[in-house]
Parts: sequence; structure tokens; C-alpha cells
Amino acid sequence: MELLTLTDIITNSAELYSDNEAFKCEENSVSFKELDAKTSQLAKCLIDSGVKKGDRVGIYLNRCLETAIAIYGILKAGAAYVPLDFTAPHPRTRSLIDNCDIEFLVTSNSQKRKIISLIDKSSSLKGVIGLSHDLSVKTVSWDSVFNIRLEDYQAIEINQDDLAYIMFTSGSTGSPKGIMHTHRSGLNYAKLSAKLYQVNSKDRVANHAPINFDISTFGYFSAPLSGASTVIITDAHTKFPVSLANLIEKEKLTIWYSVPLALVQILLSGTFDKINFDSLRWVLFGGEVFGLKYLNEFMEKLPNATFSNVYGPAEVNQCTYYNFNSVTALDSQLPIGKVWYDAEYKILDTNDIEVAKGEKGILVIKADTMMKGYWKNEELTVQSLYIELNDENLESKYYRTGDVFYENGDGNLFFVGRNDRQTKIRGFRIELDEIESVLLKHPSVKEASVILVELENNKKELYAATLMLPGTTVSNKELKSFCKSHLPVYSVPDQIQIFETLPRTSSGKIDRNVLMNNLIEK
Amino acid sequence: MNEIILAYIKEELLNNEIEDDFDENEDLLGSGILDSLGMVQLIAFVEKEFKVEVGPEDMVIENFMTVNHIVNYVEGK
Repeated sequence: MELLTLTDIITNSAELYSDNEAFKCEENSVSFKELDAKTSQLAKCLIDSGVKKGDRVGIYLNRCLETAIAIYGILKAGAAYVPLDFTAPHPRTRSLIDNCDIEFLVTSNSQKRKIISLIDKSSSLKGVIGLSHDLSVKTVSWDSVFNIRLEDYQAIEINQDDLAYIMFTSGSTGSPKGIMHTHRSGLNYAKLSAKLYQVNSKDRVANHAPINFDISTFGYFSAPLSGASTVIITDAHTKFPVSLANLIEKEKLTIWYSVPLALVQILLSGTFDKINFDSLRWVLFGGEVFGLKYLNEFMEKLPNATFSNVYGPAEVNQCTYYNFNSVTALDSQLPIGKVWYDAEYKILDTNDIEVAKGEKGILVIKADTMMKGYWKNEELTVQSLYIELNDENLESKYYRTGDVFYENGDGNLFFVGRNDRQTKIRGFRIELDEIESVLLKHPSVKEASVILVELENNKKELYAATLMLPGTTVSNKELKSFCKSHLPVYSVPDQIQIFETLPRTSSGKIDRNVLMNNLIEK
Repeated sequence: MNEIILAYIKEELLNNEIEDDFDENEDLLGSGILDSLGMVQLIAFVEKEFKVEVGPEDMVIENFMTVNHIVNYVEGK
């Protein structure tokens, strides 16, 4: 069948690979046939509870098998899924629930305690699916969902341009921005990535990323599209590198995709000589730069695997690749590589004029995998686009990545940095301005400046310098816990210092360069 | 021993958004009771409190997934 929507992935694979394992997490697994049935049961449960086409349904889950059922069940109900970070502070989660007008959450009993404290103060929710515990709102256990009879189940008709999911990322103004993807853009990514890495029904794909991270779409969309099995790595495994390395051997994983940090942790865990990694044929990494020292060491241990440096902001999914087998070919910097398939790109200067080849500029990308826009933020959507009119007056929309690149003589792209205050730590996208705006919400804080400090061994730390309002006293511990209750854990500054005065530029702004130099001297 | 560990988690490490009525069988990371920094602190506490040395090869899920796992691990040392 011709696949047009993300839900077609499951329908199609249930026919072609019915008894193959679709998803596995620890000792739990589902075949494609079972996944097809269970996701229809969840869809029916949601529809019967009142979820309508176009609604947003939240997923509040740790890394577990239910994530796969939740994603496709919500999509089959004609709704869009909103993956919520279960480790985020509640005020942040509640604001996303309100912002997306979410009425239903899909979760599991493992999140019971967090859900109880989340729901207490949140009124807009109408129901929680996956919980066998009474709340002030309606709850339905997974057991009851899986007992739903499907005789009178009517599949909802879904169009390619229907909204499929909204992933939230750090926004510079202080509120996260929701990246909207449709069935078309999500499926295009699945098709292209499955083609590039020749994913097949014998593959066992490692899914390391949580579902609120765009890297997860490879494990959740591309792998099932090809009939491959996705092994969902648990939260505990992501924290214990020795266990993680063991899992690769135990599950005979063939394709790995994660942020570089996970691979560095495996390398440093000292397990390489004890564990057999021969099953791995592809190692994909993305989200941030892989330090060459570690990459070289890692590659030496895995002579049979092909490596792929993946690049693409969540707004466009993947859009470039650099595949390589040997370390000797590497110069001082690893290329981001070339734009894939039908994607088009330009490198522009600050006046939106294309730079000469080899010059630095901002990368803009036009691709079939591009988002529909930012949720409820037309202004930001327009700002993020570079629009070109062709001879017939038709618009070509490019996404402004904000990443500075140059292209070498072979047509390979190289990443230089950012032209703004967005940064990456352990693959997480962080807007430094967002952290400042949170600090400024504290009643005692008059001014705040947040900078990223690069330490040895590719280690990065967030550093905040603050100035208090006269007559107020607050400890840096208190400020830190204030940040913790408003920001995801990876955005909380590692150090917060309180100053009497801050260095200024001639225009009176806080001089971040001086702050940085003072720190480095220390 | 499990009371000592549970008390330490509840007093020192617990995320303020979680009820403190969990028990020794709860998945510490999967349920969101601890984040990765919390787990590092917990391991350091176990080393100090029970005078054991947790070597790199012992830093595995089977030893630290729940409070029960930790108790079994320390008792087996």
C-alpha cells in the first residue's frame, strides 16, 4: 500500500510483518499485529471519551513500551500527540497543558505519584488514560483499554496535512515554543531516513532518546516503517553506561542513534574489552558536536560499523548526513556533510544575500520534512522563514536554522556556531535568554546574565550572574531551587553567583565577555 | 538498611513534586523520584554510610534500580 500518514506505518507493517517484534522494552514487547490492535483500542477509548479530530493529547511517560502505543493510539484517534517531559517541573508541564488545550493525558502507573500532584491544581484536564488509580478526573487503566472490543471501531480518516505531533523546545522569550509536525512531514522523515540507512525488517534499532526529543522519531517512525524492531532503552539504562553497553550485546542491536554523550559514557565505562559490539552496523549521532578524540577512540573499537553525523534542527527533522567508516579521513573537524535527497539549502549573510562559496553564513533549509510552524505563534513562524519568489511568483519557504556554516570545496558543510544565544548541552537545546527571564521572575532579582562556559573535555556549564534589588536578601541556593521549579533540569544553571555590581558595556548592558573572562581566570 | 536509604532519599533528594509515600520497590529513575544527579548523590551516600566501595563495574541497574536492589547489593558485598 502507498503510505500517506504515520498511522499507515502500523497498518502496513501489521500486514507485512505481523508477528515480528515491533517494540521491546526490558522484558515487555509487542508484535506489529498486537500493536495495531492495541493502538486501535486506545484510539477507541480516546474517541469514546470525547477526543475529536485535531485535538491535542498529552503523553506523560518515562521510557517504556506504552510510549509506542500512546503515540500511535493518539494518532489513530485523529489527534496530535504532545510529548511531555516527565522530569520537568509541574508549573512548566501545566503551562504546556493549558497552552495546547490538552484535555486527556496518556500515562502509566509508574507515573502515579507525579500525576497525582500534577492534577491537583490543573483543572482543564478531563481524563487520564493508563492509570489504575482514582483521581478527581476520569481515569482508565491500561487493562480496561486492552479489553475494549473493536467490532464497532471505525477508523478516523486522517489527511497528510493533519497535525501529528507538537514538540516543545526552549524559547528565548521564556515560554517554550511548540514545533508542529504533520503526518506528511513526519512520514517524509521516516521514509528518507529509512532509505538512507537501509533499515530493514532484520534490524534492531536502539531508541535512546525520550519521546519529547526529535531523535526519537527514528525509533518510533522510521524503524516500524521498515518492519524493524525498536528497543526502547529505559531511563535507568541511560544513567548506567555499563548496563547500557551490556544491552547492546544482549539485544544484538544493529542501529544505534543517540546524542554523542551516550557513546562517550559507554566508552568511558571501561566495558569495551568485555562486550561484543559486532551486531552494530550503523552508529548515528546528532544533537551536538562529537569530540574527535572520543570519536576516534570509539571508532577504533567498532571497525565494522559505519558512522553517521546527523544534523537537523527539530523544525526540519534530519536534513544533512555525513557517513564515514574510517578515522584517518577526518581532518581537524568533522563535517556535517551534505544535504539529503530533495532538500535544498542556501548559506546567507545577515542581509539574506547568498555568500560566496567557502564563506561563513546562516544555513537555511527547504525540505519535505519541515514543520508546519510554531504552535499558536504565527509571528515566530514568519520570523523563522526565508521566503523566495520564483519566476512564476510561487513561494519557496526555507527554514532559518540560525546555525552558522561554511561549505568546503567538496560541497561538505561545516558547522561554525550560532548567531544568537541558543546553545546545546548534552544535545538539549537551550536558550540562555530563557534562563535569564526565569531568574528575573524571582521577586528579589534585579538583573541576571547567563553564559555558557566551556570547560576541558568538552564539558559545558551554565553560569548565572545576578544582581539583587536593594533591601532584599536571597541565597544562591534559593535561586537555584527557584530555577529548578521553573526550568527543565538541563537548563538549571550549574552555578549562580550574586554580585554587588556587574561589569557593563558602554551602552550600560551587562558585559558578558568580561564575565566570561573573569570566570576563565578563576 | 532500607529505612536509612529511604529516609535519605526523602529528606535530601526527593523532587518536591512527588509524594513521599513510595517504597523500596519503586523504580527510582523511571518513576522520576531521582534524576541522574540524585542517583550520583545516592551512590555516594551508600558508599559513605555503609562503608562500601562501589567500583565502576558495580554501577549497573541490577544494583541500583530500587532501594531493595541497593540493599541486596550492599549486603552481598
